[in-house]
Amino acid sequence: MTQHTPSFLATHPVAEMYAREYKKGEMSRREFLTRASALGVGTIAAYSMIGATPAKAQAAPSMGGELRIQQRVIASKDPRSYDWSELGNMTRGLVEYLVEYNRDGSFTGRLLESWEANEDATQYTLNLRQGVKWNNGDDFTSEDVVANFVAWCDSSIEGNSMATRMGSLVDPETGQAREGAIEAVDSHTVRLNLPEGDIAIIAGVADYPSAVQHRDMIGRDPLEHGVGTGAYRLENFEVGVGASWVRNEDHEYWGDAYLDRIEFVDLGTDPAAWLAGAEAGEFDMTYETTGDFIDIFEAIGWTTSEVTTASTLCIRMNQDNPPYDNPMVRRAVNMAVDPSVVLELGYAGRGRVAEHHHVCPIHPEYAELPPLTYDKDAAYAMLQESGHADHVFEIVSLDGGFERDSTDALAAQLRDAGFNVDRRVIPGSTFWNDWTSYPFSSTTWNHRELGVMILNLAYRTGVPWNETAYSNPEFDDLLTQASGIPDADTRREVMAELQRIMQEDAVVNQSYWRSLYRSHVSDVVNADMHPKFEINMHHLGWA
Amino acid sequence: MGLFILRRLGVMLLTALCLTFVVFFLTNLAPNLEKLAKTQGNARMSDAEVTRWLDNRGYSRPLVVRYGEWLGVVPGWTREAPDGAVTGRCIGPADDPAEAPTFCGVLQGDFGYSTVSAEPVSDVVGGRLALTGWLMLYAFALMVPAALAIGILAGMREGSRLDRTLSTFSIASTATPEYVSGVIFIILLASSTAGVSPWLAEMGWIEGRTLFLGSARSAMENITFWNFALPVATIALYGMGYIARMTRASMAEVMTAQYIRTARLKGVSFRNIVLKHALRNALIAPFTVIMLQIPWLLTGVVIVETLFNYNGFGWTLVQAASNNDIELLLSCSIVAVLVVLLTQLISDIGYVYLNPRIRIS
Repeated sequence: MTQHTPSFLATHPVAEMYAREYKKGEMSRREFLTRASALGVGTIAAYSMIGATPAKAQAAPSMGGELRIQQRVIASKDPRSYDWSELGNMTRGLVEYLVEYNRDGSFTGRLLESWEANEDATQYTLNLRQGVKWNNGDDFTSEDVVANFVAWCDSSIEGNSMATRMGSLVDPETGQAREGAIEAVDSHTVRLNLPEGDIAIIAGVADYPSAVQHRDMIGRDPLEHGVGTGAYRLENFEVGVGASWVRNEDHEYWGDAYLDRIEFVDLGTDPAAWLAGAEAGEFDMTYETTGDFIDIFEAIGWTTSEVTTASTLCIRMNQDNPPYDNPMVRRAVNMAVDPSVVLELGYAGRGRVAEHHHVCPIHPEYAELPPLTYDKDAAYAMLQESGHADHVFEIVSLDGGFERDSTDALAAQLRDAGFNVDRRVIPGSTFWNDWTSYPFSSTTWNHRELGVMILNLAYRTGVPWNETAYSNPEFDDLLTQASGIPDADTRREVMAELQRIMQEDAVVNQSYWRSLYRSHVSDVVNADMHPKFEINMHHLGWA
Repeated sequence: MGLFILRRLGVMLLTALCLTFVVFFLTNLAPNLEKLAKTQGNARMSDAEVTRWLDNRGYSRPLVVRYGEWLGVVPGWTREAPDGAVTGRCIGPADDPAEAPTFCGVLQGDFGYSTVSAEPVSDVVGGRLALTGWLMLYAFALMVPAALAIGILAGMREGSRLDRTLSTFSIASTATPEYVSGVIFIILLASSTAGVSPWLAEMGWIEGRTLFLGSARSAMENITFWNFALPVATIALYGMGYIARMTRASMAEVMTAQYIRTARLKGVSFRNIVLKHALRNALIAPFTVIMLQIPWLLTGVVIVETLFNYNGFGWTLVQAASNNDIELLLSCSIVAVLVVLLTQLISDIGYVYLNPRIRIS
């Protein structure tokens, strides 16, 4: 989907010959990599020459070793009710996922070899990986997958967040899986029949609550029953203190696993304590590093890994409140504000400039549009033309954090352009009570895997989270159309139009995408930050 | 004496009962139960799901009844699900409902189940108390002798240069809270970018990156001077100044007493006056203060254990409170009551031996 291979690296004739030999099975992967890199081909390019995913494997770690990860250790439970990514990270070495979400925004099959959707995304065929075994000796078959899908659809279980991700697979009347919606075609093929097109299903089964359990272990805590397809088994687990996993020698794992032992170290929630732990040599990588601590960890010699996410701050006007129903007013606001300044002042430059359409470059269907222009004078002229030059813009935000700082940065630029601006801050305890109805306010939005997911949540006419009160039949129609196109490249054509409408109607002012950071000691491999904080212990290793 | 101890034990039980009821009441307020449901179930559960979660786990019944269940004087609840599975307070996940006991509370020796760590409370508290025990032992071993020495040296010649120097030190150490001294210690001695460590590493005098470790996590398995010195010193420093001031005041007062003057006039050496005549009488007041330091330290370790990542009792208390872990908090409060009243009992009995004129009827 979003694989970019630098062409100048990939076209070494000898390396290409090696790649052909590797594909014919005449050369091992490691030997190919060694030879290709000796020819000056970068590791990422080398991987892409032989069809491997560079996002997953930037370099093959060496076998063996022990790695310690700083992360909260929370009491485990039924994966369906996981509410923190830490829970998924903890059990990912035991119970695996059908599909893995990569840090570049693409999806790779784990327990699925591949999957296909039909034209209008109403039917999915899931091809299960052959030769996968549970560590109790059973074969992993379509029976397991069907049982898991049925369990995910069960909305009578308190805290089962998979039910909402399963969308139309759930029968709204019974709160259970729809009759005939999930069928096993043969031992390694499962078919999903949906009443309406849904392209978010694959993203749903890549999310951390969708760990695949053994058919007899549904609803139970994986740490307690210990049955999984993964390469590791739990050695020790103490909530709030730490946990450790070791390679399960009695189990033949279907894929690669490099480390012999992984330890999770819980140092609480205070980054200063993490730093003290890092100085004392107690762990090798953080779960997430924030704010000033990114630089401090660099100062003690650690490497920083950054990932762009679709987490963002939207400063939006609610179109039910005049004069914000006038597109010229909204356009004037967007034209007066330079997003890079908001990013710098509001979020210390730790992110990427956005383009007011809430679709992120990490989204597979993101379409690149011509760059926007900013002009204070033209903006004020436009505001005068709209007849609202005397209007006082009262902008509401939370009373702290980057939300306040970014909104301040926007307000200051509007004042510079000649707008009358008033700022109001509201504490978090009351702010969220009516966040959708403020006339002009800022809202944080979390990362979603697909651009259409966000647009459906926030900008479709009448949806509960539509905080802009935006209502445009043309937009809704295009969005419905895009939501039914499983292929990202085809969907991009419609998406470009949707993004253009968002910009033209100036629905939101969105200045930046927030980046996430992780620090690790320099010779850990594949420890890069992930937009959903995922850590897959099977990929980790030492250089 | 026997009656005195019995009466003290009675007071202890009554205090524990009152305190646990207060804790039980506060942790079972509606918003706290909602928080419990959301941390245990799913942070994004709807209100209806929260109610169902609480109903299914017996939290929605009257407060007094549930307190009785916890004490073990009211039969534990049972509930039959529509599919026939029986769950209940006294029925563990692997137990047969028919064989489970009717009562399971403190009286039956069952302190309940910690929701946050998914383990029996007695296992959690036991292990954590042992860790804190080590920390307190080392802190006391450093604090008490050092404080007494400072206090006696300062108090034996009131107003001397030595007295002024030591008094200044003890006032400064008491005036510095643990979260300040701990951070200063870490910056000075356990940072690879500040303090003495970079310089020592450059000279090649230390092998690691830092002189001391700023995190006592490794001390939970193996206590060494380098991983345990900073937390111990942080605790000891704070208590030290206070005890030293008390000892100094007491010592200074004793040194002006009639019998000391008599001894001095008789020509007893100053060394003997201090060690044989003054010391014992001067120690009565500091003795109470030292015994009071034990319960004070038990709560004082909250900050130090959190700062140095040492997962002891204080840290458990913070975890239990922030997760609204009801039964763990109740047991923590029982431990607190026991420690406070036991140390007071010991100090009352100890008076008799320090001063035979004091009688406990």
